[in-house]
Amino acid sequence: MTKTNDIAKGISRRTALKGLAVTTAMAATPFTAARAQSDVTLRWWSPQAAPAQVEAYQLQISQFEAMNPGIKVQFETTSDEGYAPQLAAAFSSGEVPDIVTHLPSFAVQSYYANGLVEPFNDVIEAIGADDYFPGANDVFRAADGNYCGTGIGNSAANMLWLRKDLMQEAGIDGAPETWDELRAAVQAMQTGGLFGAPLPYGRNSMTSLIFIGFIHQAGGQVFTPDLEVALDNDGTRNALEFYREMREYCPPGATNYSWGESLTAFVSGATATGIYTGRVLANVRDQNPSIADHVTCVRYPRVSTDVAPWTFNDFPSVFIPAQSQNIDAAKQFAAFLFNPEGYIKQLHAAPGHVLPVLRSINENPMYQDNDIILKYSAEVELMAESAAGGFNLGYESADHVSNEKAGEIIGSNVISDLVQKVVINGDNVDTALSEASQTIESIMAG
Amino acid sequence: MPSQTRTLLERRYAALGVMLIAPTVVVFCSVIVYPLLSAIYLSFFSIFTPTLEGDFVGLGNYTELLQTEVFWSSLGTTLIWTVGTLTLQILFGVGMALVLHQNIWFRSLARSLILFPYFISTVVAVLVWKWLFNDLYGIMNHFLISIGFIDFPMDYLGTMPNALISVILVGAWKYFPFVVIAVLARLQTIPDALYEAAKIDGAGPIARFFDVTLPQLRDVLVVIILLRAIWDFKEFDLIFLLTGGGPLRDTQTLPLLVYQEAFALNDMGKASAYAVVMMAIMLVFMLIYIRRTRTEDGS
Repeated sequence: MTKTNDIAKGISRRTALKGLAVTTAMAATPFTAARAQSDVTLRWWSPQAAPAQVEAYQLQISQFEAMNPGIKVQFETTSDEGYAPQLAAAFSSGEVPDIVTHLPSFAVQSYYANGLVEPFNDVIEAIGADDYFPGANDVFRAADGNYCGTGIGNSAANMLWLRKDLMQEAGIDGAPETWDELRAAVQAMQTGGLFGAPLPYGRNSMTSLIFIGFIHQAGGQVFTPDLEVALDNDGTRNALEFYREMREYCPPGATNYSWGESLTAFVSGATATGIYTGRVLANVRDQNPSIADHVTCVRYPRVSTDVAPWTFNDFPSVFIPAQSQNIDAAKQFAAFLFNPEGYIKQLHAAPGHVLPVLRSINENPMYQDNDIILKYSAEVELMAESAAGGFNLGYESADHVSNEKAGEIIGSNVISDLVQKVVINGDNVDTALSEASQTIESIMAG
Repeated sequence: MPSQTRTLLERRYAALGVMLIAPTVVVFCSVIVYPLLSAIYLSFFSIFTPTLEGDFVGLGNYTELLQTEVFWSSLGTTLIWTVGTLTLQILFGVGMALVLHQNIWFRSLARSLILFPYFISTVVAVLVWKWLFNDLYGIMNHFLISIGFIDFPMDYLGTMPNALISVILVGAWKYFPFVVIAVLARLQTIPDALYEAAKIDGAGPIARFFDVTLPQLRDVLVVIILLRAIWDFKEFDLIFLLTGGGPLRDTQTLPLLVYQEAFALNDMGKASAYAVVMMAIMLVFMLIYIRRTRTEDGS
């Protein structure tokens, strides 16, 4: 609490006003052509649609519609597991949404590479390129030098969530930093009715995305920086071995877990640790306040402290399909989404879950003035820092070329199949790795 | 003159006939023929789904799919699912229809309530069942642990053979009311005289069922089995929402494979090839159904 208040006090009035001025100026975007349009309806798709988030979107929509008579915005929900097929169908039919938010950066890169996405450079300029955190848009830079989208937020999706009370009861002094420490910790905390961890073992995108983090936390990688398949390496083998060992500390149904189940397991108190974004904080506050004072998070442990932490950030995006019939209006609305009042309300709808990409917003007292951000200031700061240096399969490291096939690799479930083969079926690791590598190579070739 | 008048009348009748049948033909071509021909056409191409652009590959997709293990395993799973769930639907459906045919209390209410699973949305049904199956809070595990049947929560959807059994059971629960409706309707038309004659001949309840009821139900059961076999064979949403085809590909049926090829791997050409093969298999069921219904009409 003290620390956060200090941060808030540390922000000068001048900084705050500057931030407000810069971001408010975004309302006066250069997409004036759109203002001449009439009876335009923009369709906005997002998989992030918790009730509080939708309420924030509606505020942004109503403000935008009031400023732009003749333009209506219609919000439509998609899902983390379902957006790819829905968008594929939309693109092929030509019935596309006009603006899409909160999809991972690699999905946008893939669509852009196939000519399906409008360049976003002018929107970034309208928002204020200098206001972004350094390098925030690097992940959206396409092969042709254009930006295919921009981040609407950051997320640190594989934070290790801990219960300080349970750690204390189990005699665990500090948060685990290595896999050995994590294994010992969950073993100590697992008791009758309480499981150690809610790691996903289902055949879905969460298992794939989380396990890619484990590969990197073991010093491995899926691709070389020039995108040669490099899945079969010691890091992956170690990660598979550790993931298999962790199975006994996870609930029996973890074999079918995705994001929702994993989150609920920790928030409800069924597991001693969790692996998720900062959405944990709001859910604990609303659904299980009895553990709210005991919850904290750290970067997910790795095989040894010699290996750098690897945070999975899907870089939630904003982009505009090229087939949209209302591109100017969509660009205007995209820029408006970063208008301070609405953007902060949107971030506050899931505090710590979607983190700001603009410095002026992060420094804005309005943003800092939130019960969760104040209560968990250290955790939110850590997540922001981790997410800013985060990666995903489309952007495995700063040295990696952008991988336009990342979405298809995740969609194919080849990584989660690898996990299931080794962990659930007990298949031979060499064979499973060889098959997975071949599948990825065929996707890359296709 | 008379012959000319007849010709004119005939022409008018013919024109009227064409006009009357035209809407049906147009709708039929739009919703059946065009998508069918389109799917067959697409199956000869390698097509990137979002752009629908690609290259002609001839029979390449078909030769490839016939050589891939995933096609045969998915076909096998589809057949197991279809036979398993259909068998349970028939057993539950006939059993429940026999119960509801009796003079029991609240028969009308029970007849209405029994339709509930069939009428609710598949999404809602799956959510309810996933909650019942939940490892941490599901009532199934809670009940089994409380009666001492198991010591540890069971994993109903994430391991084999539990996942396939669970999917088959939920499918049977969802669709058995269709069998109840059809069988109950037929039961009500069986003449009482047949049962009375059987009783006079000394037949007990079991003998009456096998010697009177079942033969009378045979025709309707054949039609039900054929229709439900076709519908179950192409079932997508229930399985997709319950398990997503997992663990691994152990509950992945052909419709899920088509979906994955088309929208996760963005290969619409190969997905169309899978769909055409599926259609060819279902055609067998359809031909039997058509032959059966024609025979009934003829008799």
